[in-house]
This record gives sequence, C-alpha cells and structure tokens, in this order.
Amino acid sequence: MLSIKNLHAAIEGKEILKGIDLEVKPGEVHAIMGPNGSGKSTLSQVLAGNDSYEVTGGEVILDGKNLLEMETEERAREGVFLAFQYPVEIPGVSNLQFLKTALNSIRKHHGQNEINAVEFMKLAREKARQVNLDESFLKRGVNEGFSGGEKKRNEIMQMLLMEPKLAILDETDSGLDIDALKTVADGVNALRSPDRSVIMVTHYQRLLSYIVPDYVHVLAGGRIIKSGGRELALELEAKGYGWLGINETATAG
Amino acid sequence: MTALATLAPEFASVPDSTLPGPLQRYRDNAAKAIAGMAMPTRRTENWKYSSRHLQLDTALAAPLAATGTISTDIGDAYRIVIRNGVIAADESRLPAIDGIEIVRFADLDEVNAQKIVEQLDGALDTAALQFAPLNSARLQDGLLVRLASNARLDKPLFVLCQTLAEHSGSAHPRILVDAGSHSELTLVEQHESQGDAPALVNAVTELNLAAGAQVTYVRLSLDGTTVNHIGATGVRLAANARFDSHCVGFGGPLRRHDLQIRLQEAGAECRLNGVTVTLGEQHYDNHTVIEHVAPHCNSEETYRCIAAGKSHAIFNGRILIHRDAQKSVAEMSNKNLLLSSEAEIDTKPELEIYADDVKCAHGATIGQLDAESLFYLVSRGIGRTEAGTLLSMAFINELVQQIPVESVKDAIEQRLIDFIETTFQEV
Repeated sequence: MLSIKNLHAAIEGKEILKGIDLEVKPGEVHAIMGPNGSGKSTLSQVLAGNDSYEVTGGEVILDGKNLLEMETEERAREGVFLAFQYPVEIPGVSNLQFLKTALNSIRKHHGQNEINAVEFMKLAREKARQVNLDESFLKRGVNEGFSGGEKKRNEIMQMLLMEPKLAILDETDSGLDIDALKTVADGVNALRSPDRSVIMVTHYQRLLSYIVPDYVHVLAGGRIIKSGGRELALELEAKGYGWLGINETATAG
Repeated sequence: MTALATLAPEFASVPDSTLPGPLQRYRDNAAKAIAGMAMPTRRTENWKYSSRHLQLDTALAAPLAATGTISTDIGDAYRIVIRNGVIAADESRLPAIDGIEIVRFADLDEVNAQKIVEQLDGALDTAALQFAPLNSARLQDGLLVRLASNARLDKPLFVLCQTLAEHSGSAHPRILVDAGSHSELTLVEQHESQGDAPALVNAVTELNLAAGAQVTYVRLSLDGTTVNHIGATGVRLAANARFDSHCVGFGGPLRRHDLQIRLQEAGAECRLNGVTVTLGEQHYDNHTVIEHVAPHCNSEETYRCIAAGKSHAIFNGRILIHRDAQKSVAEMSNKNLLLSSEAEIDTKPELEIYADDVKCAHGATIGQLDAESLFYLVSRGIGRTEAGTLLSMAFINELVQQIPVESVKDAIEQRLIDFIETTFQEV
C-alpha cells in the first residue's frame, strides 16, 4: 500500500523530517506517537501534499505510484485522505456543496458518473448520522462555527463519504470528550477493511484503546526511533517518552 | 489623450429624432454646454484611477445604427428594449395596470415633455458626472416609467439596453423613473451588446421616489469586450421611501458606474449591494455617493470586487452627512479579492460628516485567497480551478443570493462562476 523510504522534509529551510522509513500494508492500522514537535504533523501534511513543506529527500510510493510527484488533488483522488488536526472554516461554501464537489472529483477520476443530487443527499445524511452530526450541519458553511468536536466529526464524516484507501488521522483525538472520541473511533473502525489502511498520528494512548493498531511507532526528532506492537503504546503510557531518552520539551516543528 | 473639446463638435452634432419641442430644446442646450467641457484627466479627482482607461476617439461619436436584435430570455416579466439608445417599441411587453405609464419620450405631448424637462437631471449631481451632459446632448429618445400613488408593478420590469456594435459609434440610453407615493417597482436595467467594433455606451438613469415608495433596482453590466461603458444612476428619496440596489458588473476596456443617492427626507433608507469582477486587462470603476440630507435616514452599502490577471478595479464610496441629518445610520463595507499579483484594486471610502449625533461605520479590505482554505479543498480531491472558484464565489455569494429576481440570480450566479473559472484557467 504505502512505502516511505528515507523521507526528508523541511519548512522555511528548517529540516523537520530527517529520514522516515515506514511500510504500511493493506488493512493495517499504524499509530505514530511522539512528543510535541517531533514531526508527526509534518509527516501528515507532507503525505497529503501541503506545498508549504519542501520534500528534500527520499521517496513515497502508494500502490506502485510515486506519491510525491502527484498534485495534492490527485493524491486525494488516488485514495489518500487526511483528517486535519485543525480543520479550516470556510464561510460561504456550504458543507454540502463542498462534499458533493469533492466526491464527484474523485468519482470522475475513477471513470464513474457524477452522483445526482438526490442520491448524494441520501448518502450525506446517512454519513452525518453515523458520526452524530445533525443534518443541519450539512447546510452550513464548511466547519463554520463548528465546535472543536464537531469539526473532528465532520472530518470523519468526510472520510466515510470518500472511502479512502489510506486514511491519515492527524491528532483527531485531541480536544474530544469521551463520547465524541467513541464516535470518531466507531467511524474509523467502520471503515477498516482488508484493503484500507490507516495512519493515526497521536500524542496520547487514549485513542488506541478504541482503535486498536497493528503497529506503533515512536517519532522523535524527525525519525522513527522505535517500532513495536500495541504493547508499545501501553508502555509509553506507563513510562512516558523519557523512558526512550526523549526530552519532552524538544523543539517544536 | 484626446480632450473632449476636440471630440465635442462631433459629439455635439444633433442626431435625428422626433422628440417633442421642450425635449429638443433641452438637448440643444446640453449640446452647447458640452462644447467647452474638458475630458477628465489623471488630475480630475473622481477619474484619477480611471482616466488612463478613457480612450475615446471621434469614431465613437457616430450614432450606432440599430440593426438586428439580441434575444434575451427574461422569463415571466415585463420588458422594454432600448437599442442603441432608441426604444424598440414593438418588442415591448408592458403591463396594462391603472396608474402605471411606461412611455417613450418621443411619444410625449408638449405639456408632458415640459414636465419631464423640469425633472431631468434633478436626481443627479451633474458636477461630478462628466459624461451625463453628453447623454443629454445626444438624447434621441428616452424611457419614462411613471407610477401613480399606491401603484404596484406585479412583475419586474426589464429594461434591456442593447448595443449592436457592428460599427464604431455610441449610444446614450436615458431612463427616468417617477415612483409616486407608496408605489412599488422592481426594475432590472440590463446592459448587453453584440458585435466587436469599439463602442461607447453612456447611460443615465434617474429615479425619483416619493414618500413611502419602494424601488428595487438591479443593474447588470454585461456589455461585450469592445464596449466602453459609462453609466450613471441618480436616486432621490422622499420621506420613508426605500431603495434597494444590486449592481453586478463584469469588466471591460472602460467600465464606470456612478451611483448617487440622496436621502432627501426623514425616514428614507437605501441598501446598495455591488459585485464587480475583472480579468485580463479589464477595468471597472464604481463611484458611489450617499447623501444624508434629512434626519433619521439609514444607508447600508456592501460592495465586493474580484480582480484577476492584470485587471484594474476601483471603488470610491462617499458618504456625506449634512448638518441637519441627525440620527443618521450609515454603514459601508468594501471588500476586495485579488486573484493575481499583477491585478490592481484601488479603494477609497470617504466619510464627510457634519452632524454630531450619527452612527457611521466603514471598512475596506484587500486580500487574496486563503492558502489554508485552498489546501483544505484541494486535499479532498477538488481541482485547483474548481477550488479557487468555490472560494471566490464564497467571497461574493452572500450578495449574489440577495438578488431578488430568481431568474436573474441564477443566471448571474452561473455567469460569475464561468467568468471566475476562466481566470484560474488563464494562469
């Protein structure tokens, strides 16, 4: 599915990722943990194609295709989905219009017909229900005036609608109360299948009780310094990052 | 740059017409007056940013021959066509409602023509309108819309100002609206053209609203890319009258619209919305003036502009509150979006306040598309053209959705989308 080799990336000339290697096979869920400033969000943004970041070395292959050579929109159409840590508010563009345009862009890419308005409404309502978002949110501006939790649920709703093959969740658990966390986890679990993969970026172990990962990686200073199974997350929870010799107050990035 | 003085003899030549005596005399006087006028230059304050787009030559003085037609579907509404400045009476679809008169100037008798002459220019501040006198001097015909007290037009009236520019020349459409007390009218003034010869449209519209009258005015500037368009709209409001305008303009070689509002008596209100889009080498200049003459009047103005390519857009919004206009409430907002680093937008709010008990607010901004929003949309698979168009439309959507005539709203929305899409494709 996804193969990251020796990935280096910088922002404004400052190197954040200093050689990431990661193999994600179909159906797998990988958790990427690490202290603030370790490069977790940078990795998510780089994979999704945010051109504020400059890739300075390495390669990323998605199902045999060079991901780094694809435009941002092409990556999404090829099945990469990033659930944003801080979803943007876009007043004046309705959620419905946004979702429909996005879905149709993806369908068109795969040679499918555009979805008609009636079918789309049905689908959107169903997905909104699945993440406990009231239907009225569909008519509002994209994330406009949504609470933190509503924004995160909106991200998961988009993910359910677009059925990506690779979902990247960037701190989707942050700022959620326990009910919202369960809703989000249910959404992700509903999407799990043998041909889809998930990369979960998180600071805390909490989410991993609800979405059980196959692998856990610790990112620090722009490198993966330790990988293991689920038990690694529990160990981190018990011992903190200091146990791995990481300074928790490491520089931000 | 040619001075109007050298153009004037050409422009002052009196076109053939069958206007009644008083209107002919009005026109002849105007023709004499413009002979000494100078063409605006960079030093003419209200043409400061636009004088460089003003490249009129004598060829434009010729009257345009009205041959052919532009078929425009307006749906279920009344219509009248002014083609190259002359009313095409046989293409009208007019109401038969007591108290509503829609007539050409040419059909007025001497007495009524004299009354019209007394009204003409009354709603305009001609000192600030360099080209309105030229319209008067070239008057061939005109449209009078008169509503008696309490008369109400049940459907919108479309005035289609069509310019057929097969050859160079100019057209000078003239509209006068006399809305009696508590009358109601929705007027759509639509400027459109065909042909690709250089042309000049110099339109003047005046609206007089008596006490309690309510007029909704939609002005669409859709002329083609070779048409220079100078337009003026003057509005005078009596007590408790209300005027709502929705001016939508697409750029061209020269595009200028002056909107002058005079809140003459207590309780009058106006709400002015404007949307302007320009691309390539296009130009558009909006000059608005709202004068609060009497106390307890409200005005609200919202203009948005999007400029792409190397285009140039201007907004100059003046609010003048007279000394006696206490308890005035005036709000003005002008927001602008630049879609390219080579486009230029000049915005200038001007507040002149002589009363001490008023509420006034104004704001003007110029910005570009938000990179984070763009990334968010694109990261969902939406192409860059479509994402840019969505965000640009979001910038003006609030105003587009307020256009009160459904068919116009839908058509204009689509036209704006198509226009904005082009700007992203041209990069």
